[in-house]
Amino acid sequence: MQKKVIAFTNLLRKSGIRVSVAEGIDAFNALDELSLDDREIFRDALRSAMVKRGDDIATYDELFELFWSGFYDNLRQAFDQMEGDLGSMGIDLDQLLKQLAEMMQEMDGDLDLSELAKALLTQDLSQLENMIRQAAEEAGTGRIENMLQVGFFSRRTTEQLGLEGASQELENLVERMRAMGMGDAQIQQLQELMRKLMETVRRTVRGFTERELQQQNHNYMEKFRREMLTEKSFYHLTEDEITRMREVVARLAQRIKNILSIRKKRLKRGKLDLHQTLRRNMARGGIPFEVVYKTRRKDRPKLVILCDVSSSVANVSRFMLQFMYSLQEAFTKIRCYVFVAELGEVTSVFQDKDISQAIEKALDGGDVINVYTRSNFGFAFHEFWKNHLASVDKKTTVMILGDARNNYNDAKAWCIRDIQNKAKNVVWLNPESPSAWGFGDSVMDRYMPYCDIVEECRNLRQLSRVVDQIIL
Amino acid sequence: MFKSVQDVIEQLGDQDYICDKKIATVVFLAQQLGKPVLIEGPAGVGKTELAKVVSKALGRSMIRLQCYEGLDEAKALYEWEYSKQLLYTQILKDKVAETLAGTQTLAEAAERVGAQDSVFFSSRFIVPRPLMQAITSEKPVLLLVDEVDKSDPEFEAFLLEVLSDFQVTIPEIGTIVARSQPLVFLTSNDAREMSDALKRRCLHLWIDYPSEELEVRILDRKVPNIDKRLAEEVVGLMNRIRALDLKKTPSISETLDWARALLALNAEELEDQIVSDTLNVILKYEGDVEKAQNELAKLIKKKTAEVSAAQPQVAPAPEPGAVKKGILH
Repeated sequence: MQKKVIAFTNLLRKSGIRVSVAEGIDAFNALDELSLDDREIFRDALRSAMVKRGDDIATYDELFELFWSGFYDNLRQAFDQMEGDLGSMGIDLDQLLKQLAEMMQEMDGDLDLSELAKALLTQDLSQLENMIRQAAEEAGTGRIENMLQVGFFSRRTTEQLGLEGASQELENLVERMRAMGMGDAQIQQLQELMRKLMETVRRTVRGFTERELQQQNHNYMEKFRREMLTEKSFYHLTEDEITRMREVVARLAQRIKNILSIRKKRLKRGKLDLHQTLRRNMARGGIPFEVVYKTRRKDRPKLVILCDVSSSVANVSRFMLQFMYSLQEAFTKIRCYVFVAELGEVTSVFQDKDISQAIEKALDGGDVINVYTRSNFGFAFHEFWKNHLASVDKKTTVMILGDARNNYNDAKAWCIRDIQNKAKNVVWLNPESPSAWGFGDSVMDRYMPYCDIVEECRNLRQLSRVVDQIIL
Repeated sequence: MFKSVQDVIEQLGDQDYICDKKIATVVFLAQQLGKPVLIEGPAGVGKTELAKVVSKALGRSMIRLQCYEGLDEAKALYEWEYSKQLLYTQILKDKVAETLAGTQTLAEAAERVGAQDSVFFSSRFIVPRPLMQAITSEKPVLLLVDEVDKSDPEFEAFLLEVLSDFQVTIPEIGTIVARSQPLVFLTSNDAREMSDALKRRCLHLWIDYPSEELEVRILDRKVPNIDKRLAEEVVGLMNRIRALDLKKTPSISETLDWARALLALNAEELEDQIVSDTLNVILKYEGDVEKAQNELAKLIKKKTAEVSAAQPQVAPAPEPGAVKKGILH
């Protein structure tokens, strides 16, 4: 049992659930206090001791089913089926085994059978389970990686199990029975039984190996999924990934909010607040036992977002908008503009309660601009400069998102220069890799001199790093 | 003392708290292992309530520490009662003068005053706050640290220290060791993720929205006059509403409120009108109410279609109103 729990713990760890040694010990202590007959209680006890994050619960439940949906039960089933098969051939398994046992008793000390053969003849399934597990471990089944290896590891396991030897022993046993004068019909039945036994063991071993593969695979997949999402380029996302990515973005935003709250706290201690101190200590005749300090608040920045929503960068825009939406509290005001060539304001996104719909709408031009034209950054910036420059002041961070592929139009970089002069800083996020900047119709190099921060922003990790930089 | 997991379910049941094995297992383990329990889950599923009923079932008094941003040691553990100290010095002025009588130098006087230090820094002048109370109590108590996620991370670290050793060090007095070990419940609404260190020391309990069957039983217990069929309808509709993408998903407490409201309005079944009139009991945002109403309209349409499909044209027309009356049946 202990071993099995430890193995399970390792499985959890491999799947990305963090389980400390202390928690493992807690799990053992917990199991000591409970009767283990109830599977549900067993599951909940292990979970409460080892899995502490809401997100992990689903994974845990799945793994629990996979790991503890007793291999023993499978074994039981296989043997029941064998009994049924024999029964349909007119062989009564119980009767036969009883007879066999009686005859073996007569032979007494003269008999030398391996553990495996004994377990098979007495139908001691729990013993058999242990032996198969051990054999699988020695065969290294835990290292199995793909379907093609199932045959190989099954064979290694049966070898470790010593199935060939046991088979030989059982055949010899039948021969001896014949010598002792057992009837032909019965000998035939015995032979059939032995054959079936071997077959059943082989099948269950194969089943065991397949389960092992499943467990490994699950680990692999889960890790793969988690790691990849943050690294994955926004350019190649499937529908399903977009949905999952939303959750990841929400979690990342939450993390940044947590950090923000700590930062705010640290900034709190300012100068002595005389007024408050006196007020607080009035009860003690004005003697300042308790000293109150003024709290210094960090100015929250204003944010102006200029988002390229042409199809080539739509995904990046989507997640950046979601990110910013989740972090609204970190800013005093957010204004949001979208453009392809024309520029339109979609600030209402940030007032809407239903974020995902609002963002989709904004990406679609928000009824204010035509998205089915060719990108023209210069034109869009010029429009901003003409009509909206007033929304930029010294506390404003201007965030521009786009690939700066200008279709050989006039770049009008001076607009950005003017914006920079008025703003606190200008941040440009470009989903293309830096090596492509300034080549072809990319005019990134023209804008770069007027941006305070220019970052490549192609996946979630980069995006969250940029956000960190801006607000922390 | 709980004797087994089943016993927990029964004893909490006696206190009108219906729980499943999941909750009972963790409560039982917490008692047996003496470990704190961190309870997480959406708002309103009965996290705080659980602590209350456990304290009742065990006959322990409950000490509650409500967490909020800016909560510090002084509010959670102990505080010197400055004004009392001040008052005492005023009253004991003469005595002080007596003590100091005959001293020649300032240094000597300071020495004498210093010798009396312990008078003014003794437990007499300490205001024990919840954590201290829980530790120093003669009888074992139940300590509820409510909404621990609202506290600052620094406080969390401090809490950890107390919870791991059950002792408190007051520099002026010394270390105070717990006379009895309290049973500790921490609740969190997931406003922020708790540190791994804290989680490691706790048993973890995730209370989710209950299953339909369990929720009907809870309704039945908490709203005694409710008709069984109405309860089932309420719970059924509730689960549909929860499946929507809402800003604030209604939980058990809302179900109870709603059932009570329906009873007060003498509703015998969920009619469309009454449902849309009382939706604001369970939904707290206008956008949510709107969404739910759309969903209801869809449901009604479906129901109507089903009913008319089930009744062929030749059959006598159903009584007026019967078709659109109930939503769920």
